[in-house]
Amino acid sequence: MDKQTEYVLRAIEERDIRFVRLWFTDVLGFLKSVAIAPAELESAFSEGIGFDGSAIEGFTRVTESDMVAMPDPSTFQMLPWRGTQQGVARMFCDIKLPDGSPAYADTRQVLKRSLEKAAKMGFTFYTHPEIEFFLFKGDRAEGSTPTPSDNAGFFDHTPQGADNDFRRAAITTLEQMGISVEFSHHEGAPGQQEIDLRYADALTTADNIMTFRLVMKEVALQQDLHASFMPKPFREHPGSGMHTHMSLFEGDANAFYEAGARHSLSKTGKQFIAGLLVHAAEITAVTNQWVNSYKRLTGGGEAPSHVCWGHNNRSALVRVPMYKPDKAQSTRIEYRAFDSAVNPYLAFAVTLAAGLKGIEEGYELPPEAEDDVWSLTDAERRAMGIASLPTSLSEALSLMEKSELVAETLGEHVFDFFLKNKRAEWNDYRQQISEWEYNRYLHH
Amino acid sequence: MSRDIGLATRLIQAGLLEVSAGIETIENSDLIKLDPELLCQALAKSANPDQALKYLSRMNLDLVKDLDLTAMIFGSSAAFAEHLILYPEDLGVLHLDPPVNAVSLKDQFLTSTSEVDSTAALKRRYRRQVISLAARDLSSKSDFAHTSLELSWIADAVLETALEIAKAELPVEATHAMIAVIAMGKTGAQELNYISDVDVIFVAEPINGVSDEQAMSSATKICSTLMKICSEQTEDGTIWVVDAALRPEGKAGALVRPVASHVSYYQRWAQTWEFQALLKARAAAGDIELGERYCEAIQPFIWDASTRENFVDDTRRMRTRVESTIPDKVQGRELKLGKGGLRDIEFAIQLLQMVHGRSDESLRVPNTLQAISALAAGGYIGRVDATALVQAYTWLRTLEHRIQMQQMQRTHTLPTNEVELRSLGRSMEVLGEPAAGLNQAWEERAIQVRSLHQKLFYQPLLDAVAVLPTNSVRLGTKQALERLTALGYQDAAAALRHIESLTTGSQRRAAIQRTLLPVMLAWWADGPSPDVGLLAFRRLSEALGDTPWYLSSLRDDAQIAQRVATITSGSEFLVDLLLRAPESLALLADDEQLQPRDNAALQAEVDALIDRNIDDPVKSVGALRALRRRELVRTAAAVMLLNQPVDQTGKALTIVNSIVLDAALRVAVKSVEKQIGQSLPTKFAVMALGRFGGGELGFGSDLDVLFVHDPLPGVAETDATPAALAVATELRSLLMAPHPDPAIEIDADLRPEGKKGALVRSLDSYRAYYERWSITWESQALLRVEFGAGDPELMSRFIELVDLVRWPANGLSNEQIRDIRVLKARMESERLPKGADPSTHLKLGKGGLSDIEWAAQLMQLKFGYQHPQLRTTKTIEALQASAELKLISQADCNHLIEAWQNAANIRNALILALGKQQDQIPRDILELKKLSFVLGYPAGEPNLVVENYLKTARRAREVFERIFYDS
Repeated sequence: MDKQTEYVLRAIEERDIRFVRLWFTDVLGFLKSVAIAPAELESAFSEGIGFDGSAIEGFTRVTESDMVAMPDPSTFQMLPWRGTQQGVARMFCDIKLPDGSPAYADTRQVLKRSLEKAAKMGFTFYTHPEIEFFLFKGDRAEGSTPTPSDNAGFFDHTPQGADNDFRRAAITTLEQMGISVEFSHHEGAPGQQEIDLRYADALTTADNIMTFRLVMKEVALQQDLHASFMPKPFREHPGSGMHTHMSLFEGDANAFYEAGARHSLSKTGKQFIAGLLVHAAEITAVTNQWVNSYKRLTGGGEAPSHVCWGHNNRSALVRVPMYKPDKAQSTRIEYRAFDSAVNPYLAFAVTLAAGLKGIEEGYELPPEAEDDVWSLTDAERRAMGIASLPTSLSEALSLMEKSELVAETLGEHVFDFFLKNKRAEWNDYRQQISEWEYNRYLHH
Repeated sequence: MSRDIGLATRLIQAGLLEVSAGIETIENSDLIKLDPELLCQALAKSANPDQALKYLSRMNLDLVKDLDLTAMIFGSSAAFAEHLILYPEDLGVLHLDPPVNAVSLKDQFLTSTSEVDSTAALKRRYRRQVISLAARDLSSKSDFAHTSLELSWIADAVLETALEIAKAELPVEATHAMIAVIAMGKTGAQELNYISDVDVIFVAEPINGVSDEQAMSSATKICSTLMKICSEQTEDGTIWVVDAALRPEGKAGALVRPVASHVSYYQRWAQTWEFQALLKARAAAGDIELGERYCEAIQPFIWDASTRENFVDDTRRMRTRVESTIPDKVQGRELKLGKGGLRDIEFAIQLLQMVHGRSDESLRVPNTLQAISALAAGGYIGRVDATALVQAYTWLRTLEHRIQMQQMQRTHTLPTNEVELRSLGRSMEVLGEPAAGLNQAWEERAIQVRSLHQKLFYQPLLDAVAVLPTNSVRLGTKQALERLTALGYQDAAAALRHIESLTTGSQRRAAIQRTLLPVMLAWWADGPSPDVGLLAFRRLSEALGDTPWYLSSLRDDAQIAQRVATITSGSEFLVDLLLRAPESLALLADDEQLQPRDNAALQAEVDALIDRNIDDPVKSVGALRALRRRELVRTAAAVMLLNQPVDQTGKALTIVNSIVLDAALRVAVKSVEKQIGQSLPTKFAVMALGRFGGGELGFGSDLDVLFVHDPLPGVAETDATPAALAVATELRSLLMAPHPDPAIEIDADLRPEGKKGALVRSLDSYRAYYERWSITWESQALLRVEFGAGDPELMSRFIELVDLVRWPANGLSNEQIRDIRVLKARMESERLPKGADPSTHLKLGKGGLSDIEWAAQLMQLKFGYQHPQLRTTKTIEALQASAELKLISQADCNHLIEAWQNAANIRNALILALGKQQDQIPRDILELKKLSFVLGYPAGEPNLVVENYLKTARRAREVFERIFYDS
């Protein structure tokens, strides 16, 4: 920490940085920011920056509202779109109470606690997300559907496509912020992009996802576009998922790998998947937290709405990618439920907890699903023991409400707030009268 | 034959354990040629005669000049014995003259290692030097202080030589930079062990013309080589590990830095423990002038550290962390890190140096023994304590030396092996049987050190305010204030005034408090609010004055002092009660006293008490209230000090209140009879309801009651009722009248027609009412009707009446069930006070007491008519019965009971901590800290109480919603 802190202060001096933004994430996954002058930074490192927690969704109630944001110097980055001279930098923060004890409302803390638990079992948790999102043109008029930036399709390379410029600029900006990009391409729907981040430990990845969303929005604005992480903007096109590859390491060794095993998947790996499957339904409210999330999840296509796993099966909830010879370290599994509007800290925390539970309890992995699960009949799925994920936010919340695993992982405070807030969202949604209803019922 | 017997006897006298093996060894070696008497004399002087004999038998005896000395070395150190057997020519080192100082020793080392394989030569030279020292150490020619000093000289010489060897290996790099090796830790303080890591920091400056970068890179190569020379294990063995981890940024930081870079690091980043480490810095090798420049430059940082914001918390955390990292297995045998071990002493001394060294330069010495003298000379610690501390420290360090010497291994743990213990005991010359004696001596030292700790920090604070004319130096006021602040007292000036007041004034009390305060000040410092604890104690002490038992129990009973400290730290409720009647403190004297009083004994006491005062109702009820207050103290203290479970607390409080209520009723009846000039024309009783009926009273509960009477034969109800009303009114006013002891709040609001209804009714009137008017919620309230006070026969008949209402044949109608549910649902939204947080409201919040009680009661009303097991006034019993009857699952039952107990327990703890009844878990951090202290949660994470409550309440709420609303 010390070297890093000194590096930060020196960088601020040398690059003549005018503002430092302290970032943290509220319970719903929105990025919050406090700007401070460089002169305040030194004391921010030692004492933190106080703020009134009651202004932030989900932060109040546990104790009095005074909270302290403690910047994490290892997350220091310049914001490239603010220029390199007299620029602006950012750091992620941990939220504490004035006496230095951790704030239970801090979702970054929630993930840290889960990671500590994994560490106690000897594991480090690595993730690698494939983030999908849409680019839209201009503002959407109320009552109309948004206009995609292009009409291309999967992997299309459009000639003077704005999206190519966009991806180039976006990736450059990400790389400038120290976020390595693995892969990027045009996705299936018009205006839809996918950018895959290089694998990193889960906390770094979660920080990176928060940064990623902001960067995409900034870069899009520079090109008169608008980036959206809405899970399912079009009825007829696939939604934006965030398929995430996961692996556990024991020291330097990949704990999911076992030479000679089927799919080279170790017992630990199998139990981790089993844990994800057993608890998939109850964690869905966290991994797919919006009303709109369920329109993606139940909309067919590649969205996983059935609780099963498969090897290279793109309809399964958990996919075990093809093992590449001599790549023991890259043995991993892919969890396909997340959408791009998730709170990554909470989502990683609950999936890790579910997987670890599988290891702790020695869950048995059910047989692999080899068919396209979407094409099976309900009866066939029932016969094969394949359950479904909840089909609405309301159903997901009812399942989550009874989950000791989720309560334990989020902590009682976040658990309680999350349920209340999401119930309110659902109630609000239920009162809406949709275009579909007018079309269908107005002339009755 | 006779010679053998003689030898065996001699060997036994010399302390040999394996005598026949010993004889065999002698007979099969050159030892047979020695005079057995001389041999046995030598063996007797060694710590482990068996081991000494074994090694002597392998030695070429012609080279042994001093048999006694050789036996001592061989008996105490297998490592040295092996060396001398391998290199018998080194035997001469046993008779070397001691070195004069570090400089001359360095010269000797440098000359003796200028050979071809200089590293191997250094290792050999080092071992010879240590053995030479050990010989003088074991033969009492070098005391601990000197031994550890000379070990540091040897370390300096090794570092110097290794640096020269490294420079010779890197001749070009050597021209780039001046290098100084700063010794840290025990080497720096010149109090080194036989074997331990040698902590260092490297400082370098470019030699003119060389760039900074080049110079640091070259210096880094040289210093890495130095470390390798000392640390590397080769066929010539190893010296010790050179550890440079104390440098700025630890292992992640640059190995070598120039002075300015060190300074800028300490200006910005260092943490409290790093400054503490700097206390020991000393230029040990290389460019001494440069090293001293470094030491001078870092001085200000050490001495300003105590003014840093987090100093108090940091030091406390450092101490608890050290204690918590020792594995349990060795906890009691750790000389260094265990409780009462060396780290305790060193930590205490360093802390005092940092607190006071800022204004007093005489304290700025790295060596522990010297620091103790300086602190004593300045009055910062008492002279007697200082002497005791020096003795304990020296003894522990000497023992550590002896343990390490055996294998030259870096260990600080007292062995458990009997043979090893025996040999250590012999070498430490303990009293009695060596192994047992050593264990005992260690335990005594550990206890002594632990209490010294408190004396060191706190005793001098007392001397600072002492008025006794004393010519000895003592702590000044300014120093006392800086120390109190460092120990966590926020208003140090007020704290000092309290200390002054407590230790002056009346002779006997002040004298006793003077001996107690040092340890009590430490206890408060570990509590939620040191200032509050000290002030509360002062008030109690002043209230008690010179009461003899108080003084003698404080003086003679260590436990009572600790209990007083706990209570004053954590409970405003108890302090308040104790201030009204300080004599109750006597209850704290033993656990027996804290158990609930036996029912009959209490009853007898009450009877005697009202008999004495029967003609004066105010006086007798006053006495009853005093007795109740005493029982409140007893129960509250049992909760705080013995973690009495909440069910037991409820039971104890209920018994006390019923007995007192019953007695007060007798007084009230007498008083009314006197007023009306005749005996009471009606039978009278008080029925218990609510928590009172359920035997679940808390410290803040009112008594829910119903007043009932039954006219005597021949008396008209209209004549009897006014008399009964007079009794009820008299009873309430006696119990609630202003008085120094807490009032007993009587609540009769659950009576028919509530507040609007008649306060007292006849049994017939109750019967008529319940037959005609009763509504469902009343049946629910009647579930908890139980005997209260007064005429037993009337109470039984009332219960019979109520049974018809509360156990209606066929249970509840669907409409009645619906009524109850609607009422509960409405209460949830309406009864909660404005601004209350439903998730942490213990009574009416989600998963709170009311949820659980209603769930139990609904089951009782529905099924009580079929199942007598359900007919209880107690929530937990009703839940357990429901589970046994399979009305609810055992898991659900457990969740409800756990949540109920948790909430009830927190509710009681809130009263104890804050002195007032509240149903909301506080949000204020200090209040939360007090609450967690009373509940016995670990300090430092006040939110754990909340998190834990939310968990049990969530589970209970889930069960409640299922079984209350759905079923």
